[in-house]
Amino acid sequence: MMDRRDFIKAQAVAAAAAAGGIGLPAMAQTSMVAGEDSSLKWSKAPCRFCGTGCGVMVATKDNRVVATHGDMQAEVNRGLNCVKGYFLSKIMYGQDRLTQPLLRMRDGKYHKEGEFQPVSWDRAFDEMAAQWKRVLKEKGPDAVGMFGSGQWTIWEGYAASKLMRAGFRTNNLDPNARHCMASAAIAFIRTFGMDEPMGCYDDFEQADAFVLWGSNMAEMHPILWTRITDRRLAHKHVKVAVLSTFEHRSFELADIPMIFQPGTDLAILNYIANHIIQTNRVNRDFIDRHCNFRLGQKDIGYGLRPENVLEVRAANAKDPTDSKPIDFDAFARFVSTYTLDYTAELTKVPKERLLALAELYADPKTKVMSLWTMGFNQHVRGVWVNHMVYNIHLLTGKISEPGNSPFSLTGQPSACGTAREVGTFSHRLPADMQVANPTHRAHTETAWKLPKDLLPAKVGYHAVQQDRMLKDGKLNAYWVMVNNNLQAAPNSGNETYPGYRNPENFIVVSDAYPTVTASAADLILPAAMWVEKEGAYGNAERRTHFWHQLVTAPGEARSDLWQLMEFSKRFTTDEVWPKETLDANPDYRGKTLFDVLFRNGQVDRFPLSEMDPEYDNAESKAFGFYVQKGLFEEYAGFGRGHGHDLAPFDTYHQVRGLRWPVVDGKETRWRYREGLDPFVKPGEGVKFYGNPDGKANLFAFPYEPPAEEPDREFDLWLVTGRVLEHWHSGSMTMRVPELYRAMPMAMVFMHPDDARERGLRRGSEVTVMSRRGEMRTRVETRGRNKPPRGVVFVPWFDSARLINKCTLDATDPISKQSDFKKCAVKVVAV
Amino acid sequence: MRHDPAPDSAPTDGERHLASLLLHVRPERSEAVRAALSAMPGVEIHIEQQGKMVVTAEGPHEGWIADRMTAMHLMDGVMSAVLVFHHLEPSSPEVEEAGTAGA
Repeated sequence: MMDRRDFIKAQAVAAAAAAGGIGLPAMAQTSMVAGEDSSLKWSKAPCRFCGTGCGVMVATKDNRVVATHGDMQAEVNRGLNCVKGYFLSKIMYGQDRLTQPLLRMRDGKYHKEGEFQPVSWDRAFDEMAAQWKRVLKEKGPDAVGMFGSGQWTIWEGYAASKLMRAGFRTNNLDPNARHCMASAAIAFIRTFGMDEPMGCYDDFEQADAFVLWGSNMAEMHPILWTRITDRRLAHKHVKVAVLSTFEHRSFELADIPMIFQPGTDLAILNYIANHIIQTNRVNRDFIDRHCNFRLGQKDIGYGLRPENVLEVRAANAKDPTDSKPIDFDAFARFVSTYTLDYTAELTKVPKERLLALAELYADPKTKVMSLWTMGFNQHVRGVWVNHMVYNIHLLTGKISEPGNSPFSLTGQPSACGTAREVGTFSHRLPADMQVANPTHRAHTETAWKLPKDLLPAKVGYHAVQQDRMLKDGKLNAYWVMVNNNLQAAPNSGNETYPGYRNPENFIVVSDAYPTVTASAADLILPAAMWVEKEGAYGNAERRTHFWHQLVTAPGEARSDLWQLMEFSKRFTTDEVWPKETLDANPDYRGKTLFDVLFRNGQVDRFPLSEMDPEYDNAESKAFGFYVQKGLFEEYAGFGRGHGHDLAPFDTYHQVRGLRWPVVDGKETRWRYREGLDPFVKPGEGVKFYGNPDGKANLFAFPYEPPAEEPDREFDLWLVTGRVLEHWHSGSMTMRVPELYRAMPMAMVFMHPDDARERGLRRGSEVTVMSRRGEMRTRVETRGRNKPPRGVVFVPWFDSARLINKCTLDATDPISKQSDFKKCAVKVVAV
Repeated sequence: MRHDPAPDSAPTDGERHLASLLLHVRPERSEAVRAALSAMPGVEIHIEQQGKMVVTAEGPHEGWIADRMTAMHLMDGVMSAVLVFHHLEPSSPEVEEAGTAGA
């Protein structure tokens, strides 16, 4: 007879078998969690971490999350969990959770050099509002700014966008997604006229080949990696190519492994285009009907401060986005210099591997999925390299159909849903609209029931520019939400930290934990996190998914949504809007920003009675209406009927997410193709309807070198990134004891010969040093990452070892996204 | 106010943790993987099929399980190791709690 232990084990095996698609007897049908306690309440939620968007089931008991497991009903992960997801239930319960506002004070008053002391929310907002009003009065809206996040819920990002653009009348709002997604987002718009991938995760089960462009999915997207692994193992013909500047865990599955010289991915992509053309495998019918060709601007600089010699020397640093139309023949001539010989020489990749890779794209019978994240996006030519991968998919027509899929992965849970779709970038409005476009502004003013010409036209400061302007004293009232930019930003010791401590500036940081960024602020606001509030995220495959508030936030911690809306009550239109606007629109006089932004008859139109009685909702109770529903429905109005269609609010609480556009209750898995996308009419075949002419744009760009390369003194390439156990700056995962112990510090991974040559060995204490700063750590020569000679890798999760003191604040000149993958350092013994 | 991670959670007396994991293994290296897994205390292979293995890990606390999960993830020949199921058997048999990462 089976005892209890055997029974549990059998259930565990059955669950794993079911999740892995391994056939088993009826056993698999039993409950997912053995010994399920009837006092536990289980609810669905998306995972708090990366952009994959796994579904988890969350158990609560006595107002505390006590357990989570992978959601078998979630299509994304089908019950699987990575190690971070495994410990989700612990992220909210770190010992140093912030539970009350903390203000720097001396002698009972705010003082820039004071010590943090607990204050009430009223006191905190009084000081903050006084500082905002001082700055607005002295310098105007351009001196106020906010740095938000791809971890904001959809309604938090939306409320922030309203408050900054319409309330304070500035576009100085940017998300930390600038550091991770901007290159991808901008290339999408320039190519297709619409942001985000045309395909989805269903492509994993359809493709014949997978190409990882710099991405280490085995560690960063482990659940999606299982789907690729499954496909590769079950189908002998399937090939996997893994490209990187160093060897990592994903190479274990690689049929075509490829270590290339940093920055030369540009040349590899042009070589592939050239190979496709030279071997007559261009899909002429497709490009004739669906594509335009353009010649892009070259020599565009590196997004450094304008006085930097690299910017002065660059011919086109002032107009990097320019391009002009060309034809296919001119494009073919442009890429013809990227021969196999030239490319092999430049990239240091063996010719036969380059050829094998090019054939995956060129062979019309091979359905190919390209995948990338930070290797492409954090690149001084990030927009170019994104364009170049679309070039090779468009030349062959391998796009917008199952298995043929250029797929931009994301790193944050709502980089797509919030940062991009809601439009929290300094140049964007909801539904891909742009602040510089008068028609888009007018549309937004109408949708928000605001006076005409209220919204500012000037593009705001992007992330790196915000840091520079803080340092230079031009941005003086600054609010940071759900991110840890002092740890994340490049060249932080010189370009980020000085701005926080500049005496002219008042810095507010809202976070759940005392991060390095919070520690450098003047006011810290304690934030509710994840299932302590009702939320919505949008993942990398256009999937919008919701969760309910499941537990109460500790102490006086409040959600970002509450903070944004409550703060808006402290300003009247007379204080912040121009006199001429109020003269022309006297009805808006004497109202608070809360009244005009959130009590506008739209956001407040759903009563509390529409909430699910099973769940609490702190914000709605505080404001007296169903806040999340009102904000979502107002926001969704921007996209419905325009290809960004979202389902009704209540639907999302029932389903495991839906991929937009959702039309007639049906989600869309592949866009731009007749029969798959409801916006493509019968007879049109393929239509890239984001652009007025219905065509996609291919761009010709050259290879150009990185901003900084190793030299005699700083003789190694530095590449930064993540590890499996930790997510981004580690503010959550470093507080999970098991994850902390599994990977307690950021080490410098280097080649054993590079170590030996410097008199170092595994475990040696060293300083990693660049022209900008240094960090101390230990050497790892036998770890999971195996850099070639001349390259070192350092992860950035460790707040005690800040590698971003070494990195360079060079950005892509078009996307303004930093390059965290290419600068020069030396490693010396301590 | 520098970030000070919480101390390690001590193993609780008498607790038993059981987890199941799904592994993807390079078929040509499955023998080596099998041997490496067999050498890990508390780890058992239950099913092996077309490069997939269903493995259980049993130990005194969840950090122990996580360590094994990471070790498997980084093992030569293993392309991915993900957790599916976790059960905590508390010390007092009359109280039952379940799920991943019982707090």
